[in-house]
Parts: sequence; C-alpha cells; structure tokens
Amino acid sequence: MSLLTILLAALVAGTPLLYAALGELVTERAGVLNMGVEGMMVTGAVVAFAVALATGNIWLGVLAAMIVGALLAFLFGVLAITLMANQVVVGLALTTFGIALGTYLGKPFVGTALVLPRGSAGGGLAQLPVVGPLFAAIHPLVWLSWVLFAGVWYFLARSRPGLVLRAVGESPSSAHAIGYPVARIRYLATIFGGAMAGVAGAYISTVYTSLWTEGLIAGRGWIAVALVVFATWRPERCLLGAYLFGGATMGQLFAQSAGVGLPSELMSALPYLATILVLVLISRDAALMRLSVPASLGKPFNAEG
Amino acid sequence: MNNISRRGFMKGAAATTLLAGTSLPVLAQGEKLRVGVIHMGAISDTGWEYFQAQAWRALQAEFPDQVEVTVLENIAQIQDGERLFRQLATQGHRLLFGTTFSHYASLRKLAPTLPNSHFECCAGIEAGDNLGVFEAKHHEGTYLTGIAAGRTTKSNILGWVGAFPVPQVIYSLNAFMLGARSVNPDVVLKVVWVNAWVDPAKERDAVAALVAQGADVISGSPNTPVQGLAAEEHGVWAIGSTGDFSAYVQRGQLVSFELDWSAAHIEAARAVLDGTWTPTARWRGLGPGGFVKMTTASPELPASVAAEMAAAEAAIVAGTLNPFAGPLKNQAGVEQVAAGTTMTEDEIKGMTWLVEGVQGTLPTG
Repeated sequence: MSLLTILLAALVAGTPLLYAALGELVTERAGVLNMGVEGMMVTGAVVAFAVALATGNIWLGVLAAMIVGALLAFLFGVLAITLMANQVVVGLALTTFGIALGTYLGKPFVGTALVLPRGSAGGGLAQLPVVGPLFAAIHPLVWLSWVLFAGVWYFLARSRPGLVLRAVGESPSSAHAIGYPVARIRYLATIFGGAMAGVAGAYISTVYTSLWTEGLIAGRGWIAVALVVFATWRPERCLLGAYLFGGATMGQLFAQSAGVGLPSELMSALPYLATILVLVLISRDAALMRLSVPASLGKPFNAEG
Repeated sequence: MNNISRRGFMKGAAATTLLAGTSLPVLAQGEKLRVGVIHMGAISDTGWEYFQAQAWRALQAEFPDQVEVTVLENIAQIQDGERLFRQLATQGHRLLFGTTFSHYASLRKLAPTLPNSHFECCAGIEAGDNLGVFEAKHHEGTYLTGIAAGRTTKSNILGWVGAFPVPQVIYSLNAFMLGARSVNPDVVLKVVWVNAWVDPAKERDAVAALVAQGADVISGSPNTPVQGLAAEEHGVWAIGSTGDFSAYVQRGQLVSFELDWSAAHIEAARAVLDGTWTPTARWRGLGPGGFVKMTTASPELPASVAAEMAAAEAAIVAGTLNPFAGPLKNQAGVEQVAAGTTMTEDEIKGMTWLVEGVQGTLPTG
C-alpha cells in the first residue's frame, strides 16, 4: 500500500516538472536557451489561479496560463532571437521579471484558497474497468502530461517538422541555407516552451496546492531547467528524471514520517547534484557531448552574417 | 552645507550622547506620533504577516488622531529593511516595529545609532537601550490544540509538519504532544520537516506522507491554508496552529488559534505618547492583553472537549498549569525535567530536545 502511495505521490509531484521540462527541452532542441522558466511558471501560476477563481473553471485558468507563458516567451524571443541579445542574460532577466510580475498580480490573492467542487477528476474515464481507479485518483492534467510526452517524443524522433527543428538547433546556418525560416522556428519552439511553463505553474497553483502565495513555485522552474540537462535533451529521460526528482522529495518526506533518518537538506539538493553529475559525465567525452547537446544551444543566429 | 565647523559638530555630538544617555525625547504637545512598520512579505488574509498587520490596524483604531502609521510591505531583503528602517527613523518616525526575527539582528545594529527612535521587534530575543522585543508563548496555544487532537484521534497517531527545527517550533510541537498526552496517554506524534517557512507544495506532500503513516490529526505552523486543505482532502483533521483557516478549510479544521500582537503595538505607542516608554522583553500567551488567542473550533468538536480546553486555558491564565512542568522525559525516555520543577522561560525558549512520544528526528547540521 505504502509503496503505491509513494509512487502515486511522486507522479503528482513530478508532473509540473515534466510539463516545464518538456517545454524547455523543445525550446533548447531548437538552439534557444531560455532560463526564464521559473519566471514564466510564477506568472502562469498567478494568472491561472486568478482566472480559475473568477470563473470557477480550472481549464480556463490553465488556458490563460498558457497564453501568458507564451507571451512572456515571445518577449524573450523578441530580445534574444530578433535582437540577438545574450540568451542567458535575457533568460535571467525574464526570471526576475516573471517573479516580480507574478507577485504584483497575485497580491489580491495571497492566502486565498481555491475551493472548487471536487467532482470526479477523471471524468468518464474513471468508469473504465481496471484502469478506472487510476484515472479517478489522478488529475487529468497528470495523464495529459503523458499525452504531451508522447507527442513531444513523436515530434522530435519521428516527424519531419521535428527533424527541421532539430536541424535548426544543430546547425542553423545549414537550415537557413536549405531555406528553412530559422527565426520563425525558434520563435515557435520558444513560445511552446513558455506555454508549457505556464501549464506547469497553473498545475501547482490550481490543482496541486489550490492556492497562491509568494514562493509557491519555490525553485521548481530551475529544477526543470536542470532536468533538461540531466535528461541530455531526450524526452524519455526527461520523463524518468521528472518522476525521479519528484520521487526524491516525496521519498524524503515519507522516510521522515516513517522514522527513517535521512538528511532532508541533502535530499532537497539531489536534483542539482544529479544534474552536475550528468554534466560532468557527458562533458568528459567530446563525442558524447556532440551527440547530446544541441550544437547551437544559446548561440544567436544572424541570417545576414 | 559647508558650514559645519568642528566645534559645532562636537556640540551636536555631545548633545546626542547626552540625550541617549538620559532618556528619549518626548513628543511636543499636539505632535502626531509617526509609527513605521516594515513587513518582510506581502500582507495577506491569514498567517504571520496578517497578524502583524492586524496589530498596526488596531493601533490606528486606538489612536486615530494621535498616531500616523507608515507601512512598507514585501521588503524581502534584510539589507533593504535595514536601510528603510534608517530612512523611516530619519524621516521622523519615532516608533518603529520590526515584524520578524530576521529584523532583530538589523535592529540590534541600527537602534544604538538612532537614539531618537523607539524600536520594537516582534520575535526578537533581548531588549536593548531603545529596543523592546515581544514574542508569543506559542506553546500555550498548541497545548490546548493538543488536548483537542488527543481526544479526537482514532488511530492515536498525530502528525506535525515542521518548518525549521528552531526552538520556537520545537517547544510548540512538544507542548502539542504534552497537551495530547494529558488526555490520551497512548498517543504518538510523527514529525516531518519541510525545511521551508513557506513551500505549500511540499507542505501538502508532507501531509500526504503523515496520513500514509496513519496520522489522523495534522498540525504544524502553516502560513497558508494548504495543510488544512490537504488534510481535508485525505479525510483527516487539521489544526489551525497560528492561523485560523476556517474560511477555506470548511470541514477539516478542528480547532485553531491566532497570534494577536495588538497589545504590544498599543502599549508601546501609548508609552511613547506619554513619554514613559522603556524597552522591555515581553513573552505572553493566553489571557487578556496576551499574544495568543483561541479562535474557531469545528462544530463537530464535542462540548466536553471544548470544556476541557477551556478549563486548561483558565488554569494556564491563572498560572496553575504550565505545559512544561515536570516530570518530562525526552524521546529516549530519559528524564529532562524532574517532578516538582518547571522549565524556566529561558529553558523553554532554547528548547532543542523532543519530548517522549514524538517520533521523528531533528535535522542535524
């Protein structure tokens, strides 16, 4: 019983990481490094909360968060893709801006709880035999993240547009020479990443905690950025990593309540330690590095130059 | 501004020293007392910053014509707070309130350099020459909520979501346990540390972990309704410890208490207005003029339990009941406080051990 509880909890805790990391993964595979995930998540969380509170509908909140996340990512695109500013700096600025914007917009909602009638979360799917209880126990946003994962995996590994996106990330000049609109593709990838960061924020504020307060996201955006590196830019490892990181937090809390002494601070640092370890491992091997890291990651592309 | 002569400067400095050495300046007749308050977080509808805000609101209501309050909120950085305290003081705010323990270190440093201002710091430790401190006896509230928890639990397992293992949290959860054991000797308390003052997602997970271990009454020191909402979702009871969340947690909140700092603010302002202010350290719990107030209880709480809590409250106020009266044993069963003795205030404030029946460890390091 207890193991299943922990696994289910890890699933729920890993979901926002999965959304944000899959979005960021697509962005980075196009060669754009957007470190503003935390900021987009914070703003997304606030907007989703406000809209859900006003309309009583979580899905409208999620939609609003996607739009706001996409808008912030578009802003990033204008600065980093069109104006070719340093992506790291713009990303950090976006984080600061997103957090401040979220805090400002969220002021009237601090401490307010979103209490919605708890209908069957799984809807009609909960009526299915065998798997029904699973759908009843988890929120649709959890299993929608698996749909998203499947979509991203198929897109990158099997589809032609995905191939073009990867080409833009590996060698934008070649892609440009063949005639692909590098800037437009990068914009789309960045905006997708922003929308997914918005969903991740929305999930935390409307489904997970059902409230908004400052410090709600608490660094989960940064874990998502780290997760993409940990996953060496592969969606399937991203899925694994999200649940591993989610599970590390949950396992730690369960261990504490069961009386197993684990250094809880160390467990909280685990995602970052694991990411550094992966970086060290792949950096040691130049071939592995070339295979894993999108070659043009973080480099602006100038069609004229 | 080039006419500051050395002699003039010395005269000024001497005068300042003289003032600081004797007493603080008294307000002129009819002059409004300007009060400055700095909040580290945003003022919300519940939780720590809300209680701080309620205090200066009470102050405004008490002296509508004599006091003018300037409030700065969301000053997250200590360095900014320090600079703003200085700015407020030099702008003529004569009474300044720090709202968190984090302000205490700043004010200890600042207060001696601003001898014309009166400083008061909530959750501070020691009074200074022009710095008063005040803190609540959280344990008097948690002892009472412990009684309710001990009577309500069916599994005899209680849960505590700990923010950080600082003495204030430790004595709160110890008193919660002692209150529960005073009515139900079989009860145990499981503790989970989240290592954050505010991380709602993690607090929610901590509640899930405690429920999975069989806990059916969950307490902690939440700043948001998240613990209560999570408890309600799992079908267990939550306790509004230092926060009444009954507006959001519609069924799951068993009992609650809040922190009420109004008396500290009003007394300080009155003393400054009268010119009788002296820096003191106040540590108060339940009772009139106290800093701990019992608030909403669930309609499902049996009247007999409510009466038991009321009797304990009356005994605490009368001084006949002290949650930390011996004999008290630690987790290993070793006696820490002998029968017939009571822990001193300083011992309680510095408490770093868990009482018998608490299951969980203090994070080391």
